[in-house]
Order: sequence, then structure tokens, then C-alpha cells
Amino acid sequence: MLRANFIRDRILECRDEKLAYLAIHNHGGTTSVSFSPDDYASHERGYPALLDVARGVPVGALVFAPRAVAGDIWLPDGTRVELVDGSIIGRRLRRIGPTLPSYAGSIDPDFDRQVRLFGDAGQAILAGATVAIIGLGGVGSLLAEFLSRLGVGHFILIDPERIEGTNRPRVIGATRWNARTWFTRDPWPKWIQRIARNTASYKVDIAARVIRRASKHATIERLKADVLDPKVAKRLLDCDYMFLAADTMRARLLINAIVHQYLIPAVQVGSKVVHDKDSGEITGVHTITRPITPECGCLWCNQLINRAKLQEEAQTERERQAQRYVDEQTIVAPSVITLNAVGAAQAANDFLFYMTGLASDEASTAYMRFDPRKRSVSLDSPRRSWDCTECGIGPKGRLARGDAGKRLPTFHEGD
Amino acid sequence: MTPDVQDAIDEIKQHFRGLNVLVGPDKDGGACVIVEGVGLGAPYAQPDSWIGFHITHACPYADVYPHFVRHDLSRIDKNALGEAISPGHNFPQPGVVVGDALPSRPAIQLSRRANKREPNSDLETPLLKTLKVLRWLMSR
Ligand SMILES: [Zn+2]
Ligand SMILES: [Zn+2]
Repeated sequence: MLRANFIRDRILECRDEKLAYLAIHNHGGTTSVSFSPDDYASHERGYPALLDVARGVPVGALVFAPRAVAGDIWLPDGTRVELVDGSIIGRRLRRIGPTLPSYAGSIDPDFDRQVRLFGDAGQAILAGATVAIIGLGGVGSLLAEFLSRLGVGHFILIDPERIEGTNRPRVIGATRWNARTWFTRDPWPKWIQRIARNTASYKVDIAARVIRRASKHATIERLKADVLDPKVAKRLLDCDYMFLAADTMRARLLINAIVHQYLIPAVQVGSKVVHDKDSGEITGVHTITRPITPECGCLWCNQLINRAKLQEEAQTERERQAQRYVDEQTIVAPSVITLNAVGAAQAANDFLFYMTGLASDEASTAYMRFDPRKRSVSLDSPRRSWDCTECGIGPKGRLARGDAGKRLPTFHEGD
Repeated sequence: MTPDVQDAIDEIKQHFRGLNVLVGPDKDGGACVIVEGVGLGAPYAQPDSWIGFHITHACPYADVYPHFVRHDLSRIDKNALGEAISPGHNFPQPGVVVGDALPSRPAIQLSRRANKREPNSDLETPLLKTLKVLRWLMSR
């Protein structure tokens, strides 16, 4: 029996930190669970008074069995809701509710060979899944292809850019016509080249076509906008998984924040070729896949978000030009489809095994770095500091704070 | 302006109480800020200067850099201003501030950039960064 004083103190804590107060206990059974008549009677007796104390945060109860959960939650306005389902996150995702979820509907027989791995339930989970791909260039277009072929049902594609001729060797589905290749080069006059560039296809439209070719039924939302636009960032909160294939520090900061605040896993994929500054000689080639999950440390903790670069990205092109030192020229980075493919495939596999619940309990959470020249893979375990402003616990951090947490690092929400 | 940018500006106004603090918001939620009449003196020939900087919407995560000071800054000893102090700039860059709240003025740029943050420590605020840059400037 919980004493009244104990409960009141907990509720006051919740009220101060804008958290919901949930009392949790267990019942027998395995795959289904419900409250007893006594449980309900005590909720009805006690919760109206608790709501008064809670002043603005929900109060309620959860009851668990090993593979089921039920909830009776009272909202601040007095309405009472039943929990439909809950997610247990970690190395793999488990969805549980008052009874075992049933997967109605038939599975397309074309998926036969992969259903033999994931089962009908796994295939249905993929069909119900919503993924976001941020950046539909070299890495993102491969992800669109892989994930749609796997049978993922819902896509949110985010990229403000149009395709260019030099993207075509890496972007699945991109044609010369999409890039207006002929007209963007000499000897066409500059004004024709400009018109050609300004009418080339959007990367999200090309990716949508790739997805449509693989799947008649997938829903595709195309956002031709910056992910830092608050309206776009908000769409990410409806996802089950986020693929960060646009490598800016600002996108890293935002996705990293959403992962921890809203408990939505993500992965950052990129490949990099490093040159020696003086000799120009290639010193490193690698592809990196970094899982960003609520259970392990974040990109901020791991010094993977450069503060000075954040500032530069947030400035205008004119400011950047004016500040640039003479010796610092804009370098066009090398990029190769097969390097991107290694990272994109690893990221898609991580998603697949996480969503279908097939990931091993001992699955590594390390960042993976593939070096094709040495034919080696190295693992780097993320560090975590609990007082991190992003993945840390408590009001200073974002972990699990949801809508009550700090403002997301987007552009200003305004008019 | 974002609440974080607003907080940073409040902290600056609080610290430089008595001085003129000019603020020109940008379109993404950041702002260009100029504090006028900050004391200089030796090793510089001028008794004071304005100091300006762009607090972008990525505040408090971004490093605030570069800083800008009066365009005619010179040393008493007539030596060159030295590394990371470069003349011939303008602040704010035209087009950054919305409207004409903060007209562009000729400036000298101070480039002090910090890539990393110290692990397990609080983020350096725009005010603390500015004070650090001023200390650095006076130690040249
Ligand atoms: Zn019970
Ligand atoms: Zn962290």
C-alpha cells in the first residue's frame, strides 16, 4: 500500500518537472492484462483528488504482465483514457498492449523470401512503420531504394535541393533529364544554364519515384524544405526511425535532440575522404554508420557536433564569404556510390533488426567505421555523460521529456 | 528571436549595464548585437570601442564568432595588430539583419573560434565568449 504522503510528494515532483505521474504494478498472466475491479475502484476514489494536486500534469496507473500492459490515465481536463499500446525500446523494439497485437491483412506473396526471416508479423511491422530520410542525395537515395524494397509502408522524405549532373552517378533513379545535364554546361549561355539548374527535378521527387517503383502501397510525404524548418521538424515526431543522410552540424544537433527527447532512434550515415592539406595525398577513406539511440550516448557527448561549424552554417553565405581566410577555399568533397552503399546497407539492417525485434540482446551500440582501403571495420563505443544538455537525465537534459522538454534546435517558430 | 537568443542578450545587457546595446534580429531567430563604448586603452591607442557579433539561431550550441570592433583600431606602439585581427570588414554584413535596425559599419574582425566544447561543463554563453575575446584582445 502506498501512503498518501508518499504519493503526494511524488506528484509534487512531477508537477515541478512537468512529468506524468504513473503508479505501476504487476498482475499474473503473460500475453494479456487488465485492471481488477478493485484497481478501478481505487482509481475512481483517488485520482480526482490527485489531479487537483497535480495541477496540469496527467495522473494514472499502468499494470504489466510479462508481455502486456494496460493503462488508465486521467488527463488534466478530467477526461480519462485507456492505453492502446506501449513501446519498449532498447536494442530492439517491442510493442505491447492489453492483448497481443494481431496483424490483420494479407502479406504480399512477393515478400515470401524475407517473410521466411521476419515472419508475417515482422513484415506487417515494416508495412506499418514510418521512416524519415533526411537528405536524398547519395546515401538517402540508396536508403529509399532499400527500405521500399523491404516493404516499409510510410516515408517522410526531406530535402530542399534539386538534383545536379554531378549527383547522378550516386543517386538511384536520377536521369540526365532530371538533372538537365546538357543545358547546365558550356557552351550554353549562362542564363540557360541557370534556368536548367532551377528547373531540375527535386531530389525528393526522384526518391519518391524510386519508392513507387518498388511499392504500390507505400505512402510518401515529400518535404522540399530544410529539416530545421519547425513545421518539418515536427513531422519527424511521428516517425518510428530517422535516417540522417544530410551531413550538416545543424541537422545532427536537431536529430540528436529528437532521439533523446522523444525516444525515436536514428542513424547517421556518411562517407568521407581525407586529404593531406599540403601534399593533397589521400590519407583516409571511410564510411561511418553511427546509431543514435536513447540508450547510448549522443553526438553532442561524443564531440561530433562542432560548435564553430554550427555557427558558420547558421550564418548567411555572404557572412561566410567575408570571414573566410584566403587559404581556406571551399573544397568539393569526393563521393562514391559504393562507399555510401556500405553505410546505407548497415543502417538499413540496423533498422530492420530493431523494428522486427530480431536484434540480439548483445547487439553492439558502437559507431562503425568501414575502411575499404584497409578492408577493415573499427568500432567506437559512444561515451555518455548523464549531465549532458541533450541525452542527460533531469530537467537540464532532454531525455524522455517529450513536449514538456526544451525547445528543439530549429529555426525560430514564427509567422 | 528564439528564447535562448533572448536570454543571451538579456545576460549581455545585464553585464554591460550603462552601455548602449544595439540589437538587430535576423530572419531565423538569431540577432546581431553591438555593445558600444567598451573600454580599451593600452596597448591600443583608442580609449574604447564597440564590439559586435552575430548570435545565430543555433545559440546556445554554436560558438559565437567572429567578433568585430572599430575599424580604426591601432596600437600605441605602432606595431601591426597581429594574427587573427584583420581590417577591412563590415558588421553586420548587409542582408543579415531584418529591416534597417542595425546599419552596417566598417569594422576589424577578430577571429577566435572554438570547435569543441569541454565535456561535462556548461556551454560558454555569448557573453562569456565575448569577455574572453576582449581579454584576449587586451593581452596582445
Ligand atoms: Zn491490480
Ligand atoms: Zn549527450
